[in-house]
Amino acid sequence: MHRSPLFRRPLAAVIGNALVGAALFGTALAGLASPASAATVSRLTPPSELFSSGQAAPVIARFLPGQLFDLQATVRPDAGQTVTNFSFYVDDQPVSQLGTPAGRARTSIVTETGDAALCIDADSGKTTGKSGCKLVAGLPGNAAVVSQRAYSKGAAGVHELKFIAQMSDGTRVSAIGNFEIIGVDKDAGKTAKNIIVFLGDGMGAAHRTAARIIAKGYAQGKAKGLLTMDTFPDTGMVMTASLNSIVTDSAPGMQNYVTGNKAANNQEGVFPDDTLDAFDNPRVEYLSEYLHTLQGKSLGVVTTADVFDATPASMAVHTSARGNGTGIVDQFLDDRDLTGLTVLMGGGRKWFLPNGGDSTSPQPANGSQRRSANDYVLPDDVVAGWGASRGALDPARDLIADFQGAGFAYAPDKSALDGLFAHGRPKQLLGLFAYSNMNVAYDKIAGRRGDGTVVDAFGFPDQPMLDEMTARALDVLSQNRNGFVALIEGASIDKQAHLMDSDRWPLEVVEFDRAIAVAKAFAEDHPDTLVIVTADHECSGAALIGASTATAASLAEHPDAGSSIVGTYDAAKFPKYVLADDGYPQSTNIDGKLLIGYGANADRYETWLPSAFPTKDTQQPFPPSQSPADPNVRNKDVGHFIAGQVPGDQAVHTATDIPLSAYGLGSHLFHGVFDNTDVFFKLGQAAVGGAD
Amino acid sequence: MQRFTLALAGLLALIPAPFAHANGATGTSATTHVPAALAVTRRLGAPPAGVTELKFADMFKLPVGPKGLEPTDRLRTLDGKRVRIVGYMVQQELPVAGSFMLSPLPASAGDEDESLADDLPASTIIVQLPNGPGTIVPDLHGLIRVTGVLHVGATEVARTERVAAARVTLDARTERALLRLAREAAARKKAR
Repeated sequence: MHRSPLFRRPLAAVIGNALVGAALFGTALAGLASPASAATVSRLTPPSELFSSGQAAPVIARFLPGQLFDLQATVRPDAGQTVTNFSFYVDDQPVSQLGTPAGRARTSIVTETGDAALCIDADSGKTTGKSGCKLVAGLPGNAAVVSQRAYSKGAAGVHELKFIAQMSDGTRVSAIGNFEIIGVDKDAGKTAKNIIVFLGDGMGAAHRTAARIIAKGYAQGKAKGLLTMDTFPDTGMVMTASLNSIVTDSAPGMQNYVTGNKAANNQEGVFPDDTLDAFDNPRVEYLSEYLHTLQGKSLGVVTTADVFDATPASMAVHTSARGNGTGIVDQFLDDRDLTGLTVLMGGGRKWFLPNGGDSTSPQPANGSQRRSANDYVLPDDVVAGWGASRGALDPARDLIADFQGAGFAYAPDKSALDGLFAHGRPKQLLGLFAYSNMNVAYDKIAGRRGDGTVVDAFGFPDQPMLDEMTARALDVLSQNRNGFVALIEGASIDKQAHLMDSDRWPLEVVEFDRAIAVAKAFAEDHPDTLVIVTADHECSGAALIGASTATAASLAEHPDAGSSIVGTYDAAKFPKYVLADDGYPQSTNIDGKLLIGYGANADRYETWLPSAFPTKDTQQPFPPSQSPADPNVRNKDVGHFIAGQVPGDQAVHTATDIPLSAYGLGSHLFHGVFDNTDVFFKLGQAAVGGAD
Repeated sequence: MQRFTLALAGLLALIPAPFAHANGATGTSATTHVPAALAVTRRLGAPPAGVTELKFADMFKLPVGPKGLEPTDRLRTLDGKRVRIVGYMVQQELPVAGSFMLSPLPASAGDEDESLADDLPASTIIVQLPNGPGTIVPDLHGLIRVTGVLHVGATEVARTERVAAARVTLDARTERALLRLAREAAARKKAR
C-alpha cells in the first residue's frame, strides 16, 4: 500500500553509508570562474547557526539517515538582475539534478510574479506581501526563493551545505550552512515495533501532581497511589523551545518530537520560508512517513481536540499555517499512502462536511467550515519530490464520504464506535465525535451521570472518553504486523489551563492517565512496544498553591473570599477527593479542595468554585449561551479579581521544561535533560536500530 | 460530580448575565443605548399576537446527527411568518449597510483581520432593514429583541461573503427605531 518517495534509498543502503552517485548538476556552479556578486542570500534551509552567525555549533538541523528534507535559499540579486541558475552542494558534492527531467521536476524558482502594481511597492521597490502575491513583504522585487525537494543523506556526522546562485549578468553569490545526520546503532537490541506517543497538551509537572492528588490522594505525606504515568520506569526533562522562541506553541511543540527539527511557531512539518503559500514551505519528513516508507508501519492519530488542531496535524501534515483546517484534513486523507494513516479520531467534523457555497461565517446550514481560502494545492516540485497528492481547492468535497470510499469505517458517536467492533475489527477507522473540540471529561462524565446540560447544549451527548478511543485505536492499529506509530493526545489539558478552569483541566489529566493505562496494558501484552508520555509545553504556569481552609458551602456563600481561604504549608493538609466507580471524583467541589494559582495568568475573577458551563470555545458552532466568553468576565463582580501578568484574555504557554516518562522497549533511552528534537532520534533508534 | 449544588445555583443567579440567553430565558443587562422597541430589560412576556418566539437553540436538530446540521421542523414551519428572537448584535469591524447579524452570544466579526475565520455560531441570523438599505446601524450592546418576518434558506450578505441559514426582515416599528438611532448617530458624528 505504501510507496517510497522518489529518490529515497532503502534503509539498509543509507545507514552508515554516504549518499553518493546522485546525478551531477549539468553545470556545476562551484567550478565556474564567474565573478562574485553583491547579491546576498538571506535565508538558507535547513536552518543553521553556521549560516546565521558563522558559528559551527550548535548544529540546528539534524536528521536520521535517509530522512527526507528540502533544501532552499532566498536570494536577493543586485538591482536589475535575476537568478538564472543555482545548485546546492553537500560536502562539496552537487546535489542538484538539473541535468535530468526528473531532477528538474524537483526544483523550483519562485519570484514575485503577481500583479506588479499590487505586489511591488513603487517607492521602495520591495515586495508588499499582499494577498494574491507570491513573496512575503520586504524583499527586493527581484528576489528569488529556490528549492531542491526531498533530499536525504545517509552518512552520520556533520555535513556542510553550500549554495551557489548565478545571476543574469554572470555574477554569483554563495552561502554556507550545515546539518547533521544522527547515526543509528544497528546492533543495539530488539527494535520497537509499535511506538505510542502520549501528548498531554500543556501538561507540566504541576498538572501531573494535581491529577495525582485528586485521583489518588495523600496520607501522612505519602501518595496513596500513583498515576499510571508515574509508574513508568524512566523519566526525563524536556526543553521545549521552538525555532523562533523560548516559548513554543503546540505546532512545533509536537512536530519537533516527530521530525527531529525545530519548527517556527504555527508551523507543522516544515521550515520557515519567504513565500506566502502556506503549503509550499520546505518540508521535513515525519516519523510516521519515515517509518511507513521504511517499515510499512501504520499511523494512528487520536485526540480530544478538533483533528485539524496543531498537535494531531503535526503528526502528518505539512503546512506553515496551523489554522488551514480544510487543507489539513484533506492532507490527512490524500497523503495516507505516505503516512500510513489508518486511524483518525477526535472532533472537527465541521471540516469534513461539503460547503457548496465556499462561505463559512456564519456557517452554511450543515455547519461546514470548509473553504478554498484555507485549502491546499501543492506546487509541482513538491509533488514530484515527495510523491505527495497535489490537492485541490474543493470546499464542496464530502470528506467523510471520501474517507469511507477509501475504506475507513466511520463513527459519529460512541455507540456507533462500539457498533463497528460488534462483529470484528475495521481495517481503518475515522471517528468524528464533535463539530470542533470534543467536550472535556468534566462535562462528558457529568453527562454519563445523568446531567447532560453541557454535552446536550453542544449537540453531542454521546462522546467517547479518551481511554475508550485509545482502546479502539490500538485494536485497529495492531492488525498491521509491521507495527504502528500512534499519537494519543489529551488536548484540553492545555485548553482548560489557558482558561484557568481549575476544575476542568485536572480531570483532563485524569482522563489522559486512564488512556495511558490502556496503552500500558497493551505494551505488557506486546513487549515490542515503546510508550512515551510527555507534553508539548507547559501551559499557564500552573502551581498547586495549597488547599482551601473553607468548606464548599462557605465558598459558595463567599465567592469573593480570595486569598483569605488559601491554606498554605501546614494549613493545606491533604485534600480528600472521593472517586466514583467511573474513576473520576464524585465532585471537585469539596471541603478543603486543592487550590491552583497561575504564574502566566491573564486577568480573572477567582471564586475557587466550579463553573457550571465551560468557558466559551470559539471554535464551536454551538457554544452554549451560558458559557462565559473569557476568564476575564467569568465570575465578574462575584469573584476575587486577580490581575494578570500577561496581555490578552487567557493564560499562556511557558518556557518551563516538562517531564517525559517512558515505558517498554527502549524506555531507558529517555533519561536526563534533553531537547524536544532529541526525542525523535531516540524513537528512531528504538524503531530502526533497536534497544535492549 | 455535584455540578449544580444549590449554593452554586444561587451564586449563578446573582451573576448579571452577560451571557444569558438563546434558550428563550431572559437577560438583565440591556444598555441605555438600546431603543425601547429592541430592549430586553426584564423577563419578556409572550410575544404579541401573530408573532411566534424563535429561540436560537430551536434552529437545528439536537443532538446532531451523523453528518451535518439539519434545520428543525419548527424552523421550517416558521418560514415566512413573523417571529421574535432575542440575541446579541454581532459587533462588526466593517458594518454592512442595511443589515446586521444577530447571534446567540456576544460575538465580534473582524473582517479585516480574520476574514471569515471568526467562528460565529451556525445559528447566527441576518437581520435586514427593508426600508433602510443604506443605513449603518450603530452597535448595540447587550441583549436585544428583534421582530420581523423569518426567511429560511441560505442568505449571503453582499461584500462580506457571509452566509446565514436564515434572515429576518424587520417589522416597521423595530426598523423605525433603528433608523432613528442611525440618523442620530450620523448627526452626532457630523457635529464632531
